[in-house]
Amino acid sequence: MTNEIKNIGKSVSRRQVLKTSAGLGALGFALSMGITPALAADDLVALVHTQAAGDNGPVDSMIAELKKLAAEKGFTARTIYAKDPATYETIFRTLGEAGATVVVSTFNEVAEPFKAVAPTFPNTKWIQLFGDAFEPPIANVISVSYDYYLGCYLSGIFAAHVSSTGKLGFIGGISIPSINADYNAFKAGAMSVNKDIKVSVAFAGSFQDPAKGLEVASQMYADGIDYIQTDSGATDGGIISAANEKMGRMVSSLDPAQFELGPKSIIAIVGLDFGSSLANEAAAALEADWVGGKHRSTGLGTGVIDFILSPLFKEQGDADINAKSAKAWAEIEKVRAAILDGSLNVPFSTEL
Amino acid sequence: MEEMIIAILRSATPLIYVTLAGVIAQRAGIWHLGLEGLMIVGACGTILGIVLTGSVLYALLLACLFCILGSIIFWFVVEKLKANQIIAGLGLTGLGLGGTTLAVEAIFGTPAAVNAKFGLPKIGEVFGNIFGAFSGLSILVLLMPFVVFGMWVLICRTRLGLQITASGEHPFAARSVGVNPSRMRFIALMIGGVLCALGGAELAAGSLQIFAQNMTAGRGFMSFAAVVFGASHPIGAMLAASFFAIVGALGIRAQLLFGEDVPHDLLLGLPYIATIFGIWFSAKMRGGAKAVTGFGELRDQ
Repeated sequence: MTNEIKNIGKSVSRRQVLKTSAGLGALGFALSMGITPALAADDLVALVHTQAAGDNGPVDSMIAELKKLAAEKGFTARTIYAKDPATYETIFRTLGEAGATVVVSTFNEVAEPFKAVAPTFPNTKWIQLFGDAFEPPIANVISVSYDYYLGCYLSGIFAAHVSSTGKLGFIGGISIPSINADYNAFKAGAMSVNKDIKVSVAFAGSFQDPAKGLEVASQMYADGIDYIQTDSGATDGGIISAANEKMGRMVSSLDPAQFELGPKSIIAIVGLDFGSSLANEAAAALEADWVGGKHRSTGLGTGVIDFILSPLFKEQGDADINAKSAKAWAEIEKVRAAILDGSLNVPFSTEL
Repeated sequence: MEEMIIAILRSATPLIYVTLAGVIAQRAGIWHLGLEGLMIVGACGTILGIVLTGSVLYALLLACLFCILGSIIFWFVVEKLKANQIIAGLGLTGLGLGGTTLAVEAIFGTPAAVNAKFGLPKIGEVFGNIFGAFSGLSILVLLMPFVVFGMWVLICRTRLGLQITASGEHPFAARSVGVNPSRMRFIALMIGGVLCALGGAELAAGSLQIFAQNMTAGRGFMSFAAVVFGASHPIGAMLAASFFAIVGALGIRAQLLFGEDVPHDLLLGLPYIATIFGIWFSAKMRGGAKAVTGFGELRDQ
């Protein structure tokens, strides 16, 4: 008898669980149906970043600027980390269905999902940062490209001037066309000063692995390389740590926020202000006169990309290197002007 | 050469600590696929601890506490809720990776990388310059051989270690002589939690002073592979983890030497190719084969 009661108790309990689950599911569905128009009533700007935050660089700066802009303009901001390319389209479609006003995403890998989803949601404005032009253009999509390689070219010229060993290094996150182009430009810049200069390249295999960055940079410095250009997101942190271990090791990174991580080692940055670029594009997209179907190319001279010396290194860095740096700067200015007026054409090569 | 050895020690040490955690879990009958998650919790706990308390000691204690907490959850799910170990381990990894990101965002309001002002004490700071070029390594590197030896003594030469091993290999036999396998697994996972905390601490605060999302980058899984490759023996597993570190360092060296002739992606894949080779090789070894085939009899229900 006791067993029967127990059995009944078990079956009732299971049924109750199932009923409760079904009820909760139905309630959730009903609530979500109610929430969708609510979201649509307010401006929602979503940033879908395909590299993880925590890079002390572009992704962190985009998130910070989006939050700042949201506070200023009073819209709802959402940031979503899309790690798996297989999920891009689903994420974009969900945002479109949620009535997002603006969806911003990054890099060429989102081009195909944009093509697939954007036309279905004409009331949503889609912005692709660091992407090529869409062919044919899509009416509600804008893509923005950055000539980051031009900054790397300037870094190469600078490196060739300040290096004592004549050995330079370049560390990328992953070997992808845009990073390869940055390396080639860096090398071309260095070789334009000294044809015999040796430039080595290595990839950490990840944009999120500072420990690997430390290993790669340590080996490069041990080989006599004294100037490393980074292009590797959060992996940069390890490269900077390796540079901090001995005086005379120089590194050029990506973001002004990194200056204080190596006041005696970070000599310069090839700055790419993703955050400002995102804020400009998102703010424009929230205006009524926004027109899509365009591609914007930005680079040197627009304030988004530049080669910038570290003010902290000027104060705390090696005096001899600073003297060399001051001499080299005149040439950097000259080459920058030549690139801007079109008299110097830096090749864009994505092959290693 | 000296620089190369330093580079290998740097990359091998975190792997070895976490591998030892996998070894003791494996001995107790747990296939610990949550190593990756616990390792990143250890890394995050250490850096957050340094930033928030300003003390390395408190930071290490915090990291150990979080990792032990994770281990308790893992033990409860596997032992009490009878969940599949593999799935539960992967779940723990997901919890660690996601939970650390959430913690950083909750504390600092942004998921940005967290930089600490200092890391673990260096050998040189504690013992002066007697270790020469190795003085720049953290004290956890110096401590590592002793921990490996201690683990060997614990597992192979103590009553507790033998009870843990018996609980993993022959739980019915262990139970028949009054040993509680569930309790042994609990103890093994707790010890493993502390080791994962040390591994994560060395990764984030040994030579670096940074915590970044997903910064373990698969090292926990490589440690698990080292456990199998090393036939669940502390010394064997340490050698296996060192082998992976050596291959990783050679992969970087190969990029610098042959990068213009051989695709970088292939050279970057060397550690993973070595891992596959290691697992295959371990199946040929007595212990490795035993560890693999013994899985079916690990459960005692």
